[in-house]
Amino acid sequence: MLIDPNRFKRVAFDSVLMTYSAALIVWALGLSPFMHDKESAIHNMSVILVQLALTFAAAIAINVSLFLLNFDTPGAYLFERPRKPLSRSFSGLYLAVVFVLTVYASLVATDASLRELLDEQGWAGAARLFSDLAHPNWSLLPESVIEVIETIFIAFLGTLVAVPIAFLLAFAAAKNLMRGPVAFTFYLALRTVLNITRSVEPLIWAIIFSVWVGVGPFAGMLALLLHSIASLTKQYSELIEGVSEGPLDAIRSTGARPLQVIWFGVVPQVVLPYIAFTIYRWDINVRMATVIGLVGGGGIGTLLIRYQGQAMWKEVGCIVAVIAVVVWLMDTASAYIREALK
Amino acid sequence: MKAPIIQVKNLNHVFPSGVQALKNVSFDVYPGEFLVIIGLSGSGKSTLLRCLNRLLDPTSGEIYFENRRIDQAKGQEVREIRRQLAMIFQHFNLIPRQTVLTNVLMGRLGSTPTWRSWLHLFKPEEKEKAMSLLRLVGIEGKAHQRADQLSGGQQQRVAIARALCQDPKVILADEPVASLDPATCRSVMDYLRKVNQELGITVICSLHFLSLVREYGTRVLALRYGQIVYEGRPAEITPEWFKKIYGEEAREVHVD
Repeated sequence: MLIDPNRFKRVAFDSVLMTYSAALIVWALGLSPFMHDKESAIHNMSVILVQLALTFAAAIAINVSLFLLNFDTPGAYLFERPRKPLSRSFSGLYLAVVFVLTVYASLVATDASLRELLDEQGWAGAARLFSDLAHPNWSLLPESVIEVIETIFIAFLGTLVAVPIAFLLAFAAAKNLMRGPVAFTFYLALRTVLNITRSVEPLIWAIIFSVWVGVGPFAGMLALLLHSIASLTKQYSELIEGVSEGPLDAIRSTGARPLQVIWFGVVPQVVLPYIAFTIYRWDINVRMATVIGLVGGGGIGTLLIRYQGQAMWKEVGCIVAVIAVVVWLMDTASAYIREALK
Repeated sequence: MKAPIIQVKNLNHVFPSGVQALKNVSFDVYPGEFLVIIGLSGSGKSTLLRCLNRLLDPTSGEIYFENRRIDQAKGQEVREIRRQLAMIFQHFNLIPRQTVLTNVLMGRLGSTPTWRSWLHLFKPEEKEKAMSLLRLVGIEGKAHQRADQLSGGQQQRVAIARALCQDPKVILADEPVASLDPATCRSVMDYLRKVNQELGITVICSLHFLSLVREYGTRVLALRYGQIVYEGRPAEITPEWFKKIYGEEAREVHVD
């Protein structure tokens, strides 16, 4: 009876929820000396864990009883067919209380304070900052433009070198071409490596490469390159997986070799969307190159972090204006080009 | 009587899903024939044609092409067989965004080394041949247009030119007119007959409409649930046979 997976899930869900709400209530009412602040919680972690485990055990006992009594717990709504609408049941009230307590806990956790937000001094500081940003120091314009050109070139090279590499890898990352046990194993391995590469932020790659080749635009370019290879390979291979099979059959039935089938059957079908994706990637890379510059990847980002660190907001205003213009231009241009390629 | 160009003996094809598309199919094809294969959708017509040029691997049985056994052929041998058994398709399967001429030249791939084809180095005489084939199917004026901008009937004529560019001995036509309107449909069938009668290329063609079968076919093969249920002359298909092939509910429609 209880072995039934849905009943098991129901009791497990209810017990976790009950333990969580019990802990929330104890904390909100200040009942536990161990959960007063972060330090005491860290020092008494083992005590808290034991208490939580005991609570969880009790919660399981209670929820098994509730299950046997056929009571509509929140888990019953999730995993079984409920009898009463949630809004008019005890579970609905219970969930509402847990939700309100969670909102309260997150407000406390983020140190949210209306007083600080409306504080006169803080208000004045922010106003000064915005006013400085709005009155940029244009004498920094030549340097900003030179640095933003460097950023665009970082992004351009990172994209350009990634294209041929991703072009080749994409065929090996396309499921419809990698049939047979050996090919499929290679496909899986490649996909895994690409997913890991892509899930590491370019910002992290930039830090790794700035240790490797030294701080500067080259490290930024390498970070973008690696991320672009992984992203473009994924996008390209998805396009390959979407090609229509008919033309491939037609090329095959002329007696063509496998490489000819790819070159004459697959490539013409994907080349235009490839270009669209590549331009979009360059556009993304210009914006990313700016962020990478913040950690020493060169270009306008490095300039930005220098003046921001010294709280020179008029200079920052000039840099931000230059970035905004470039991003807007790239965005518009790439949108037009992609539209024209359709 | 001449020796058969293709012999099929006890051919079976079972899809990975377990569906048996062909059951013990045996027949001969003679040089110069216009053999029509009829049957309901799903009766195994496409599977049969695709087994002949080895786009599909037969599960069991034997296929002979010019007395050479081809059902077990591999690699280079399969490609050589495909070059001689050209195929045209219901949806034309031209390469989009490429010119008509390039599409016709694709027929030369089987006889062109990979490196030369990658550089698009087709010989001048190959290009001339492609142009003359476009003339044969009446669309030489469209040679430099994009293939996907042509009408359906014109695309199918490009596909015929591409097939002829292979110098094939046989053309396998898989429902070549099923996605065309009745008027264009006749023009495409006329070109196929021209290829058959003037160039002496054997045609094996699957069709839906009996009126077309009677007009163009020299011999008919009917499939039902993957088995041959009728073999004979088109004129000999009586209403009784029609019901046997298409089921009791079926009624004949005509294309004019």
